[in-house]
Amino acid sequence: MRTLIIIPAYNEAKSLPALFDALKKAPVACDIVVINDCSTDDTEAVCRAHGVRVINLPVNLGIGGAVQTGYRYAWNNGYDAAVQMDGDGQHDPRFLKLLLSRIQEGYDLCIGSRFIENEGFQSSAARRLGIRYFSWLIRFMTGHRFSDPTSGYRACSRGLIGMFAREYPKDYPEPETIVAAHRNKFKITEVPVIMNPRREGTSSITNLKAVYYMIKVSLAIAIASIRKGGSA
Amino acid sequence: MISPVLSIVVKVASILFFIFIINMVRIKKLELKYALTWILTSVSFVVMALFPETLYFIAGLLGVELPVNALFMSIIFLLIMIVFTLSLAVSRQALRIKTLVQEIGLIREELARKSIEEEQE
Repeated sequence: MRTLIIIPAYNEAKSLPALFDALKKAPVACDIVVINDCSTDDTEAVCRAHGVRVINLPVNLGIGGAVQTGYRYAWNNGYDAAVQMDGDGQHDPRFLKLLLSRIQEGYDLCIGSRFIENEGFQSSAARRLGIRYFSWLIRFMTGHRFSDPTSGYRACSRGLIGMFAREYPKDYPEPETIVAAHRNKFKITEVPVIMNPRREGTSSITNLKAVYYMIKVSLAIAIASIRKGGSA
Repeated sequence: MISPVLSIVVKVASILFFIFIINMVRIKKLELKYALTWILTSVSFVVMALFPETLYFIAGLLGVELPVNALFMSIIFLLIMIVFTLSLAVSRQALRIKTLVQEIGLIREELARKSIEEEQE
């Protein structure tokens, strides 16, 4: 199974080296590609120094556009599976094998969830409340429960890579893509993972944006669940 | 009733506006596709300015007491139409630009990989 690790990165030069080192120790054979979303720091140089492939976007596209670039790369180069993980050190490569094992079993999407075993970094109380709300909304829309719908640590099958390569939401894509994948009859599962607090930088979701985020994602989930045929 | 001075101003302005729009299409600054809603708007301005009876007729037809309210209503309707077509256009452009940016990134990565392979040979 040819596997690609997709790491979207915006100014992650400080946290990427540790991630690369951890990935090299991970017990899975995989290629790594970093999507440099028009960073203003040394993200590109750090990737080159570590011999990691890097796709430099000439314009900042935001998380959705960057991740989709990775899926298009995976699709064009014939990868059988792809794992997306954040460049800030929150996602531990130790769990790659577990995530990929589910893809090998025939699942199309395997989400790494913080809230199955409730171990490790659990995020702030406000965020957990927001995540539970999305979890409830997705269950209301799809009839399925996903404990960590905002997790950006997930593995995809070739089939789902194709769908994401064609269509992927622009910003805050995680909850919406679950509904779109479910709507298109892809098999989805989740496995417990332990996440770390981010080492460097700040979350893309600040308090000011939180309300906008909640409303936008709610709308996106609702639209995705009534959308016919198409996807995100 | 509308004052004679204002009446002339409105007539002249609406005709100038129509000429302005047509000229923008002529010198290819405005795409014909988006010009259509604007041409429609300016033509209706000209018609209403030159023949206010049409406005009274529309107002009577809709049961609007003040003809000027019928005017405001139709202008708001046209503006909403134009703004909406712009939103459609912007959405489509955004999607196209995103795809182009991704394609540039992918092609540049491929080029870089090819040149490394050639160096190694």
